[in-house]
Order: sequence, then structure tokens, then C-alpha cells
Amino acid sequence: MSSTDSSKMRRMPFTDTEFAHICRARDRLLDLSEPYWPIERVAREAGISHFHFIRRFQAVFGTTPHQYRIDARLRHARLRLASGCSVTESCLDAGFESVGTFSYLFRRRLGLTPSEYRRSVRATVTVPGVLSPVYFPGCLSLMASLPVSAFSQF
Amino acid sequence: MRIKLTSLMVDDQDKALAFYTNVLGFRKKQEIPMGPYRWLSVVSPEEPEGAELSLEPNANPAGRTFQEAMFAQKIPVAAFQVEDLEHEHGRLRAQNVVFVTEPFDAGAVKLAVFSDTCGNLIQIYQPKKG
Repeated sequence: MSSTDSSKMRRMPFTDTEFAHICRARDRLLDLSEPYWPIERVAREAGISHFHFIRRFQAVFGTTPHQYRIDARLRHARLRLASGCSVTESCLDAGFESVGTFSYLFRRRLGLTPSEYRRSVRATVTVPGVLSPVYFPGCLSLMASLPVSAFSQF
Repeated sequence: MRIKLTSLMVDDQDKALAFYTNVLGFRKKQEIPMGPYRWLSVVSPEEPEGAELSLEPNANPAGRTFQEAMFAQKIPVAAFQVEDLEHEHGRLRAQNVVFVTEPFDAGAVKLAVFSDTCGNLIQIYQPKKG
């Protein structure tokens, strides 16, 4: 397929069916209880060709399906680490098969190792079972920690 | 009481800054590092002193659940006003923005809905001159 064709394809309007399919494929990628399906199989289940699926997914979610799934798994691992699970436990629970790969991906995405992250998050926990707003901010909760100078611009 | 600030949850702040500035054309107003995240906001160049839009990290699982469900139900989480809907639609399409609702006449407004690549659907609307 030429680059002109693929760029035309990316700009095609989204039908309701295609939207539903891409949402279902995303759910599949987010579901940690599912086996680690090859992306090709996720695409096939969504009824979209492998190549087209990757292009479309990227245009909608800003990242490849493969990276999207890794990010989802890393997010889950962060939650486990923050709630006190060990690195190995968090790694397996998030669906990674090797601690080495997990640590590498974690560090590449977050800039620190899983054990460093675990230590720093645990240090901010004041009430057991409650996620620290520093690491898991809710709606506008970061605002309370802004410097005074930030408000001069409002 | 005034409305000076509103916010959107985004799944990645770098990606969001790139999309909201380079693609949509907003301007970065504030970027203040806060632990693992940033206080990041943009404004419209057409209204630099207008309401600020904060691009909040969607790290909280509750926010994530909300965002994913709204997206799958095709419900936009914000709406921006435009002068010329057809023009904006063409401009964004040329930059590979995916529209899940093509421009249509909804009566008092013309509107369209696109994906912001950060987990949200955004509506743009052109009110009819009345």
C-alpha cells in the first residue's frame, strides 16, 4: 500500500460500526485477565486488517495498540506497588512474564525502577488504603500545591 | 464567582500538550512541575485572557474508568466554539484527526465530534447567527 493510500485511509470518516469495533479492541487490550493476544488477533477480532487497525488505533488513541497495552499494564502495576505489593507480585499481577522486562519497561516509561517507585509512593501514604493524590491526582487536586506565582496568571 | 479555569483528563500530558497546541492550535499558558506530573494549561489564541483549560493527568483509576466509559458511549467531555465548522473540520482532518461524528446541522448549532488522542471525545460547534 502506498503512503498516499494509507494517509487517505486514515482520514476516512469513522462509521459507528468501526467506532464500536475499535472500542471493543481497546477493551481487549485493557483486559489484564485476557491472554496476551498478538495484535494481529485483536485486529482480526475487531474485523479490521492488521495494518489498518494499527493506523486507525494510533489516530484515535495517539499510540500503537502494542504500546497502549503496555501502558495499561504498567498502570496496573503502579497501583499494585502503591498498595504495598512486592515488585514480583505486581509484575505478575499486571500480566508481565518476566521481572526483567517489566523493570525495563517501567523505568523507560516512568524514569525510575519499580522498587524506587514503590518506596517513594509508600512514603507519601498517610492513610492506609487511600491513594496518594501526589501520585494519583483527582480532579484539580494538584491545584492545592501550586506556587503563589501560578495564581498571578489566572 | 467567575469561571476562569476548567479541566480535561488526559492519559499522557506530553501527548496532550502536543495535540492541544500543534494540532488544535491552543497556546500553552502554564507548565509547572508537580512530582511525577505537571500543572499544564492552555488557552485559546483568540482569547488569551479567557478561560484556561488544564490538561490533568488521568492517573486516578476512578477518572480512568469514567473517561473510558464516556468515550465508548461516544459522549464528548468538552465542547469548543468555532467560527466556521466546515473550515475547522477540514483543517483537523488534514492533520489526521479522527472524527467520530461528521459535521451535521443540529438545529441551533452545527456540530462535529473528534478524538483528542488522549482518551477523550471533543465536540466543536458553530452557533447559528440569530
